[in-house]
Amino acid sequence: MQQKRGIMFEKLRAMISGATADYADVRYEIMRETRIAFHGRELFHIGSNATDGFVIRVLKNGGLSSIAFTRADDAETALHTAEENAALIARHINKPVEFAKTDIIQDTFLPDTDEDPRQVSIDEKLQLTRNYNSIPLKFEKIATTNIYYSEVVREKYFVSTEGAKIREDLLTTALGGLITSKDGTLSQNVRVALGGSNGFALLRNQEEEFEKRTAIALDLLHAAPVTGGTYNIVLNQDLAGVFTHEAFGHFSEADLIEDSTMRERMQTGAHLGNEALNIIDDPAMPGQLGFYCYDDEGVKARPVSLMKQGVLVGRLHSRRTAAAFGEGLTGHCVAEDYRYAPIVRMGNIFIEPSEKTLEGLLAMLGDGLYILDSKGGQTSGENFTFGAQYGYVIKEGKIRNMIRDINITGNLYHTLKNITAVGNDLVLSKTGGCGKGQLNIRSCHGAPHILINNVVVGGI
Amino acid sequence: MEQLLEMAGKVSDKAEIYSVDARGDSVSFENAHLKDIDSSIQSGVSLRIMKNGILGFAYTKNLANREGLIQNALDSLKGGVEGLFELPLTKNVPSLNTYDPSAETLSNSAMVEECSRVCEILSQKTKGQINISASRSTGSIRIINSSGTDLSWKSSAYYLSPHILYPYSSASLHRILKSKGFVKAADEYLNFLSETYDQSLKEVSPEGRNLKVLFLPETAYVLMWRLQTATSGLSIYQNISPLTQKIGEKIFDERLSIYSDPLNDTLPHARAFDDEGTPCSLFPIIEKGVLKNFYYDLYFALKLKTSPTGHGFKGSISSKPAPSLTHLCVAPGNKSFSELLKSIDHGIIIAGALGAHSGNIPNGDFSIGVAPALYVEKGAIAGHVKDVMVAGNIYDTLKKVAEIEDTVYPSHGGNFPAILFDNINVTLKK
Repeated sequence: MQQKRGIMFEKLRAMISGATADYADVRYEIMRETRIAFHGRELFHIGSNATDGFVIRVLKNGGLSSIAFTRADDAETALHTAEENAALIARHINKPVEFAKTDIIQDTFLPDTDEDPRQVSIDEKLQLTRNYNSIPLKFEKIATTNIYYSEVVREKYFVSTEGAKIREDLLTTALGGLITSKDGTLSQNVRVALGGSNGFALLRNQEEEFEKRTAIALDLLHAAPVTGGTYNIVLNQDLAGVFTHEAFGHFSEADLIEDSTMRERMQTGAHLGNEALNIIDDPAMPGQLGFYCYDDEGVKARPVSLMKQGVLVGRLHSRRTAAAFGEGLTGHCVAEDYRYAPIVRMGNIFIEPSEKTLEGLLAMLGDGLYILDSKGGQTSGENFTFGAQYGYVIKEGKIRNMIRDINITGNLYHTLKNITAVGNDLVLSKTGGCGKGQLNIRSCHGAPHILINNVVVGGI
Repeated sequence: MEQLLEMAGKVSDKAEIYSVDARGDSVSFENAHLKDIDSSIQSGVSLRIMKNGILGFAYTKNLANREGLIQNALDSLKGGVEGLFELPLTKNVPSLNTYDPSAETLSNSAMVEECSRVCEILSQKTKGQINISASRSTGSIRIINSSGTDLSWKSSAYYLSPHILYPYSSASLHRILKSKGFVKAADEYLNFLSETYDQSLKEVSPEGRNLKVLFLPETAYVLMWRLQTATSGLSIYQNISPLTQKIGEKIFDERLSIYSDPLNDTLPHARAFDDEGTPCSLFPIIEKGVLKNFYYDLYFALKLKTSPTGHGFKGSISSKPAPSLTHLCVAPGNKSFSELLKSIDHGIIIAGALGAHSGNIPNGDFSIGVAPALYVEKGAIAGHVKDVMVAGNIYDTLKKVAEIEDTVYPSHGGNFPAILFDNINVTLKK
């Protein structure tokens, strides 16, 4: 194994050894994917495949460029193209790109797993997926399911002209999908999401979760659509986590604000949020979905405090943005896979828990809405929108009737100030899918329950 | 590829090989300055086999190991995915002009020059931040199968996408240019962006609840996505479409005609056959408000005992074909954009949508944040509004068409005009 690794490092080093640039790196990845998909009772897809590819990055005279390619034979052309592109950028760029200095790492990191999914047979994976899929389908008013098993194993090699040689594996498993209920022309759907980064065991014995989600899908057929308006709301952990990721987290990514007018407002030291708010991103949390040891620039991942008592205190960086902002490296420059150059991404971002119980938050809320579980979110500068899978009307602090078709929208700065209380029950997400140009299936977010005043809720 | 097909044929009853080669370069400017140039050289091969009525599938990036690819496809037979459909024998498809050699020779430096030129023009006309990306791509696809089909397709594309950003936001006014080869951005096109931006720059706080709402071509996809889901063979088979029994019924305003037009080779990526080798054709979904057709790939056509319609497309080399409306169009109406504006006394223009992917899509529901939301008063753009949500259900909204623009624009998800609706549920922050 060690010998094979050595040969690969040598092959990659040779690919960039002809570079005339100030700096070059190459990442090679073998990606092994296993997918099983059911549409209703029917098995629609099953299979395991491996693909691979390379990404070369070049920094030359202050111009940084990258190229992705799949054939080793194209390496020379690829290096030449990247160097030409870097030189072209250098001739036009406003401010030359520099890389923040980093420790030169030579290491192999293969994460510990609780049951390596590669050792579990595909027959067993199929059986487990089939069993879970059959739980909702027992009910007459469940019209269909789209339940899948997904396993992605990325075997990564990274070599730079500075001398870095890193080998790391990332294992991601997910089992979940959509349960759709239908009554007449009304259909509703609810998501199930199990998974993580540390093995197959966490997917076992999850029947109860499928039963719970099925019951919600059926209950939604009797729920009333929410009435649009401005409300005080309590968000559950999943939705509060999506808010943290979408509305706040993206603007902690230095590359997104670097050339934007938002940079003026996102200055460290700015008092942006309610003092109840403390937000951290830590990719180095073992066992969590977003865990990794080194990012795709060979920088060791470390925890970053982003907001302390409502004050902005840090942000997430690549080597380029750390130098451009004059701030410390954080190890947050990550690529989806071998088709992409790395960009600044969140790892495990979360609101730190405080003291309130859910009952305490609902009592503080009095009259308003309690909304739960994300249906996807999106941000555009200071504006964000996300959907909820279901919710309840709250009267005098008590949970009343169920509501459906809930989307909320808001302004980041107003909303950060309007988070008036934070719960004590932190939960981190088990599956991810952030689409900032590239998909990050390990994007992990979390929060305890939170109370927000004055939120726009769109009804149908 | 022929060798691979022969090898696959020996271990299966039917086999199909799909291969793709693509080269692309993209240039991006932020705040009117060159930021990135990225390139990509990608290839891939996927294999479908059928044996005893069971479907196997595998893919790879490099065809270095043919035996390994075939073994992966054979292994996937064990799961028992049904594969009873016939692979088509397709010959003599219409010849389309999908390749402009100028895309091949277009240099990154020429794209940088064009972006610089556009930045300069827009910067002179407006104070908003300018972000632009330009890209060019060339690619080829080949499909061969055991029925004797051997089809090839070569394509080229050039995109330019300027954005003018609103202050302290990444909400932007934008309109994409798409062509098969390089074309200079026309003054008229740049003027539309800068003038609309300037008119909408002031932040305003109007009131109201049920307003006229104008979806720009850039946001019409929010509505079309729901229709695409409801008319897909997959949704029909799964019985989650509200349209299952409604072929022949008038479901939308009679001015709406919506169709798939894969043969239109004035735009990039026209197709004479889909990713399974089924011939493509001009295909109506909605004709004068009446639901005409659902669309299918080979798999779901057989499941529903109907004929494939040439809509089996792959999202990537690693996915199997699935029913997709990849060349969607809405027929133009008869009002110019300025006439549309003049007919709005009090309304919102949806120039950007947030959260189009959330909500109950099969049911036709949408509930989107609007950024930017332009406010129109007495026939003219009066500013932009923050914290706006627009919600509805397409089976209600698309009955409330007020006017349709007389020009269509290539946009996200298809080729669309701006569409004006009456009496739409708008939530404005108080």
